Amino acid sequence: MDKLLRKSFALCAVLMLLLLAACSGENAGSEGATGEQSGTLNAKIGVVSYLTGAGAAYGEAITQGLKLAQSEINEQGEVNIELVIEDSAGEAEQALSASQKLMSDDNILAIIGPTLSTEFFAVAPEADLNGITIMGTSTTAEGIPEIGDYVFRNAIPEALAIPTAMEKAVERTGAKKVAMIYGNDDVLTQSGFETMKKTAEDMGLEILTIETFQKGQSDYNAQLTKIKNTNPDLILASALYNEGAVIMDQARKMGIEVPFVGGNGFNSPQVIEIAGDAANGLIVATPWFGESEETKVVDFNKKYEAEYGELPDQFAAQAYDALYIYADALKRAGEADRELFHEALAATEDFEGLLGNFSFDEIGDVVMDVKVVEIKDGKFVEFE
Amino acid sequence: MLLEQLINGITLGSIYAIVALGFTLVFGVLGIINMAHGEIFMVGAFVGVMTTGVLGWPLWLAFAASIVVTSILGYLLERMTLRPLRGKKGVSHLAPLISTIGVSILLENLSHHIFGAGNKPFRTEFAEISIEIGQVTVYIVQIVIFAISIILMIGLSIWLSKTKAGKALRATAENLETASILGVDTKKIITLTVIIASAMGGIAGILVGMAFNSVSPQMGLAIGLKGLAIIILGGMGNVKGAMVGGLLLGLSETFLVAYGDSGYRDAIAFIMIILILLLRPQGIFGSKMAEGR
Amino acid sequence: MLDFINPYYLQIGSFILINILLAVSVYVPLSSGQLSLGSAGFMGIGAYTSALLTINFDLPIFLGVLAGACLAGILGIIVGLPSLRLTGVYLAIATLGLGEVIRVIFVNWESLTRGSIGLTGVPQIGRELLNLVRGFGFEPSMIGLKNNQFVFLLVFILLFLIVLATIWFVVRQQNSRVGRSFSSIQMDEKAAESMGINIMYFKVLSFAQGAFLAGLAGALFAHVMGYISPSDFSYHRAVEILIFTVFGGSEVIIGSVFGAIFLTLMPELLRFVSEYRYIIYGIMLVILMAVRPQGILDIHLLGRFKGIKRSKGGMR
Repeated sequence: MDKLLRKSFALCAVLMLLLLAACSGENAGSEGATGEQSGTLNAKIGVVSYLTGAGAAYGEAITQGLKLAQSEINEQGEVNIELVIEDSAGEAEQALSASQKLMSDDNILAIIGPTLSTEFFAVAPEADLNGITIMGTSTTAEGIPEIGDYVFRNAIPEALAIPTAMEKAVERTGAKKVAMIYGNDDVLTQSGFETMKKTAEDMGLEILTIETFQKGQSDYNAQLTKIKNTNPDLILASALYNEGAVIMDQARKMGIEVPFVGGNGFNSPQVIEIAGDAANGLIVATPWFGESEETKVVDFNKKYEAEYGELPDQFAAQAYDALYIYADALKRAGEADRELFHEALAATEDFEGLLGNFSFDEIGDVVMDVKVVEIKDGKFVEFE
Repeated sequence: MLLEQLINGITLGSIYAIVALGFTLVFGVLGIINMAHGEIFMVGAFVGVMTTGVLGWPLWLAFAASIVVTSILGYLLERMTLRPLRGKKGVSHLAPLISTIGVSILLENLSHHIFGAGNKPFRTEFAEISIEIGQVTVYIVQIVIFAISIILMIGLSIWLSKTKAGKALRATAENLETASILGVDTKKIITLTVIIASAMGGIAGILVGMAFNSVSPQMGLAIGLKGLAIIILGGMGNVKGAMVGGLLLGLSETFLVAYGDSGYRDAIAFIMIILILLLRPQGIFGSKMAEGR
Repeated sequence: MLDFINPYYLQIGSFILINILLAVSVYVPLSSGQLSLGSAGFMGIGAYTSALLTINFDLPIFLGVLAGACLAGILGIIVGLPSLRLTGVYLAIATLGLGEVIRVIFVNWESLTRGSIGLTGVPQIGRELLNLVRGFGFEPSMIGLKNNQFVFLLVFILLFLIVLATIWFVVRQQNSRVGRSFSSIQMDEKAAESMGINIMYFKVLSFAQGAFLAGLAGALFAHVMGYISPSDFSYHRAVEILIFTVFGGSEVIIGSVFGAIFLTLMPELLRFVSEYRYIIYGIMLVILMAVRPQGILDIHLLGRFKGIKRSKGGMR
């Protein structure tokens, strides 16, 4: 029996060694791929994105936005960016592995992603420790840029978006009593809810009831009936657009006609697609206003639709801008060096992107104006 | 408010009950838990979305299409994953459980690839019709769902007890070998069972699509787990138990939200089954001591 | 020369080792005929206990891990006792339900667990170890390693030792009276009872051992990741763990080890098919059950490979 035991261990050890051996080798010899070539700056940017699983729609939009920006930037010729895209499947563990893979490649200049805040919380401290710049394009939860020096984001935090939307909504409707509903098993909606609740308390609104829902649920009638019976002036809903749209649909069917104020994740053309007329009356703050008449937005919409056959949402737009911000910093850094790049990026100020005027504050968080939009007659219009 | 919540609870409970009927039928005859049932239900819902939304078919045709597709899935499930395991030596009783988990993973991710990750709206004019009773708005769909669940339950009970095929089915459930010696074509009966159970999943899928206007690849798991809890609650393989268990769960969830903490909604099904397993393992309507098969 | 000590590979290696522990945590109860789908829940108990203790009370990591594993083990006993009445699929579903209930509690107990936002800043084993050796005046550069490499190497070695010790224990146990009792219960409970085996004791023992191991793995997971949230311990995790054991071979411990290694590596090596990964998983499970329900590795295969005769008591 001992013999078998020993053999088992031997097998184990061999497997482990094989793993290590299979893994060496790769790293050698690609030195110098980064660097100047006839005036163009070459850089490899790592991307960790949620490409398979329940939330793959977000990751898809993000990578599509990035790829569109990449082809445009490379066409302009000043810098040449190569994207190395890894899938995280929405799991913190896999996001960490994927980013380790990227970080251990010395040619990777910086990282964009991961998609979810839960993944970002696991990955960013590691990147910060290794001195690799990392930027979230969709991570709006509290406490992201505070992780470290090398951690940035261009996604507008809920702490910026939600109060703006709530103030404007209350100003116009004169609402005094609000009901709240939020997804309590998702980091984004949970953190959005906390911001909402705090803002509501600060504004002196009366919170009538707080309801929760969970992922994969399709029946919100029980919560909505309860809300309906408290007769709110306004409903604060921290939900992702997928669930949020269904909530609105069921609410309207039930006869709840008051406006909804949503967080960042609620803002998508998909809301109209899913809920139809029921989506009217949704108020959100957003860096991205797809119906805008501005030429750069119209152009972007056109190009994006031609390429992927669908209209871009904010995730695509933010990712698109993120790569431009990186390219801009790279130009100012002058060479593809991690340290120089980090300094250049941190100094980003008054960058004119698709989403408007953009700067980083001292901890790497977003400074920009947010627009408040609402859905009216089946499309997004600017909120007045 | 009470009346409205009661209607919400009964609607939800009826859907749970129809899903649970599918589980219980397969368990009653084959003694296995079909973990893929929730995903078959989800596929049924998607067929409804596609036929009404994209192709613009009328509702009755969507029902027919959904039943056909889920029946085919049921047939494939039986043929490819369950039959190879049956009667094979050395196959543990856990093999079908794991095998159907495989099918559920496959179906969920396949529909994810085909239909995309997000929610799809289910638009039919039928779902918009409502009547006012006093202060309460009742949608015709809600009544239809309740009626269909009752009809299915009664129909199934009668079919099982009165018809020849139903008797053969029960004989097969009792003892496969004896039934086969007595001239029952057990293979056919088993295939029929899985097909009927799957078709009921398809019906439930369309009903959910109509009632809640949301269909996504992930919905199978959520409702499948609940269905699982219900058949334990009501007693494995018991038609009446599935119905009562479904309504009980639908009502408890709704009233938990209405008068308690909505955060624990998903836990209530499992708290109930953990309790029932400890107090009365055979379930509310189960007759004999449950035996692991 | 030491370039091959690459954090990425070591990270994957560490996850593989944690997954081996998880696979073994399913294997042990299974060796006495109990299918537990609650390992994700027990894992969560271990992870949260250890993370909360180390964050809030500055407990040393190893004490936190021990506490996490023990608490999971104790819960295993508490759950294991009444679950004795349940067999087969009933037990599987009850434990599945238990796992879900535990997750929902993590989500809702916001004052303690911060809900779905999760716990950030869980002390990481590697960095603590680095500080420890630095306290002795040792610097990684003394053996020609970067800090980063050294940290990951230490974690890997530590986990490797824990896994080795666990496997050693399980294998030793299998060839003792306890292990033979387990397998006799698995074969035929009634016969085992009539032979004078205390079924209750041994079933609870194996169930609690599984819970303990899952808790241990969870606690280590927390301190390797540095961040945990309830979604780490969902139904999907439970199924994934089950697949490790079932795929590799549920009759022999080496099967669990093989399953965990192979299935953790596969998505990494085949990142290009990662989009279809779960579809492949699903098909694989179905085919496997139809063709080889005992999993890839079984006693006969091992015997043929190594020319080892199955000794008395066997390697079950």
